[in-house]
Amino acid sequence: MISFELTEEQRLAQTMAAQLARSTLRPAARDADEHLAIPPSILKEIWATGIVQSQAGAEATRSATLNAILLEELAVAGASFAIAAAAPIGFLSAIASQGSDAQKKALLPLFAGDSYQSAAVAIVEPDFAFDVSAIRTAAVKTTNGYRLSGIKGPVPLTRYCSHFLVVARFEDRLQAFIVERDAKGVIIGEKRPNIGLRALETATVTFDNVEVSIGVRLGEFAGCDVQWIVDSARTAFAAIMTGISRAVMEFVIPYTKERVVHGAALAQKQVIAFRLADMRIETDAMRWMTWKAAAILEKGGDATRQAQLACTYAREQAMWIVDEGVQMLGGHGYLRDNPVEMWYRDARTVSALEGVVGV
Amino acid sequence: MIDFELTAKDREIINLAREQGKIAQRYASYYDRHENELPPEQFPEAKNLPNPLDLAEHASDSSGARILHSLVMHEIYGGGIALHRSRWGLGNAVLNTVATPEQVEKWKNHTIAIAITEPGAGSDPANIRTTATFDRETDEWVLNGEKIFISQAESSDAAMVFSRFVDADGQRGMTTFLVEKGTPGFTVGPQLRKLGIRSHDTCNLLFENCRIPEFNHIKGNFKSTMTVFNDSRPMVGAMALGVARAALNFTREMLIQSGIQIDYRGGIRSRSAIADRFLKLEATFEAALLTVLRSKWLEQQDVPPKVEASIAKAAGGKAARKITQGCVELLGPEALAEDHPLDRCFRDGRIFDIYEGAGEIQRLIIARSILDYTSRDLR
Repeated sequence: MISFELTEEQRLAQTMAAQLARSTLRPAARDADEHLAIPPSILKEIWATGIVQSQAGAEATRSATLNAILLEELAVAGASFAIAAAAPIGFLSAIASQGSDAQKKALLPLFAGDSYQSAAVAIVEPDFAFDVSAIRTAAVKTTNGYRLSGIKGPVPLTRYCSHFLVVARFEDRLQAFIVERDAKGVIIGEKRPNIGLRALETATVTFDNVEVSIGVRLGEFAGCDVQWIVDSARTAFAAIMTGISRAVMEFVIPYTKERVVHGAALAQKQVIAFRLADMRIETDAMRWMTWKAAAILEKGGDATRQAQLACTYAREQAMWIVDEGVQMLGGHGYLRDNPVEMWYRDARTVSALEGVVGV
Repeated sequence: MIDFELTAKDREIINLAREQGKIAQRYASYYDRHENELPPEQFPEAKNLPNPLDLAEHASDSSGARILHSLVMHEIYGGGIALHRSRWGLGNAVLNTVATPEQVEKWKNHTIAIAITEPGAGSDPANIRTTATFDRETDEWVLNGEKIFISQAESSDAAMVFSRFVDADGQRGMTTFLVEKGTPGFTVGPQLRKLGIRSHDTCNLLFENCRIPEFNHIKGNFKSTMTVFNDSRPMVGAMALGVARAALNFTREMLIQSGIQIDYRGGIRSRSAIADRFLKLEATFEAALLTVLRSKWLEQQDVPPKVEASIAKAAGGKAARKITQGCVELLGPEALAEDHPLDRCFRDGRIFDIYEGAGEIQRLIIARSILDYTSRDLR
């Protein structure tokens, strides 16, 4: 039955996330971008929301829709912060939904601790021709397990990662392998800051003939549905791009009302007012598309089409919105004193990624 | 709980509307080419088939009457013309909202068109020049003016005319009059020659010293009369997207037949430019349809969706333009023929961002709301 109704629990969690985003996360966003790292105190706050740990609990507490709602709120404060939560969510939700019982039992409890920790879904490869349909990293069967070789990246927050979920070509299809960070042949490259999401300390991770045991293939002998992981990631990115778009809109509304040009507030000029109206239309639409994809995932349905459409739409609209946001502030929009230039960089970076996150 | 799955009942009624849409296509095509002929009050096939709009209104276990109604309307517009013709005009909605019980009683079975737009007053009814002056000697109103782009102009029994007035005491203001067909001085012009929606009955109306009894004065508050449009805006979005979806479905079919698959799994480097563009048009469709559902869902929660109604209308209108234009471009020269289904979608699809408040008017409403501006702050 078609409904946009949030449950009481979802409403409460949304309010709390919004509160945290406003009071604590937003003020820390610029510094994190400048200093190329999320401060431990902020990671602690994100961890304290429980959003990551709830993925590891009993089946009933995982909710893709709730995750989408919360990721939007976190992204209003900063996309890097949202991804700091969405990356381990991506890993854990993949384990919880696709893993074997043994894998769930072994891995999920590891994420129940009190301090921030991560694990990354490694899909993207540092290659201009990269596409999820053309992954080069390969796994081959060995006597005792598998041998992985390839390069992944950018991978966020590698410092905090205990595991990587490596998507590789295996016997003519894509499969995922749970690789411990300390495994022999796993080489974490130098941190390499990107245009945006600079606080995420991204690096490439090389898998140089990494020998792994038979039990690490996600889903073990049954294997897994890598497309599910991609769909979940696209839904999470759509939620994050909705959050960035909202941040821009909420920032430029008061600015354009205050700023007087040729005797009238900018916002009183239709050319500006209409673009603000379009920001609202598109941000709404992005959110509903995200919710729809998340709701399908939550019900265990096939969300591939919906996740693709949500992400494709959000990419285009979010970039348009940040671009107009910079423009509306004029020269001020170009200065690092204002957050819009950061959102401009973040939006382009988010929209170029695949994998990494999840709902 | 957030959910976007249709119920079994929703699907049943929507499928019924879709099937009827297929039957209606033949008529849509005929009346597209014969714009001066009025479609009959009832198409023969409609006699033995239930009207899905009525079913949507009374269905239990549906996603709600407002939501289902909009989705049924969406299907009907996919067919191009309603198999079940509606007798009622927006003028009936005004009558039912603001008229006295005696007036409702008298005209409840009339088809009443609404007449607002004038050569110099479209989106801005404050510019209306049609004027009614009270004649003390006969207790009648004398109406003079011209109304244009009037839907159901020829098929209606009467028109609800928005007009200025000068009463017996010289007081001025805006009001509405119900003018019956056949009243001396009331002339209906020929069918307008339109780009599309040619099966729609659209003419201009002329009032020359047209004398109307005082009883026909519908003394509604102008503002409450305009709320009729709050309900109809998201519906126009749903209708626009019905045409857009017909274009998308046809284009997808043709692309697949030509060996171009639409694959939702890969990323942007996995597909052709044509497939990528199609996918973006499809995303535009989804985005707009969800804003319609949002607005309709709010209506069901008894939250008056003013901004959301405008969002749905603006998004649907724009999506129909982009999608129908895009589909013709995607299919290329083969889609240009006039006997081609895309031809009508392309022409019909252009109206929805114009009528019932152009996209710009919706953006004014949205902008005023998010900026907390009055209509004086943002003109």
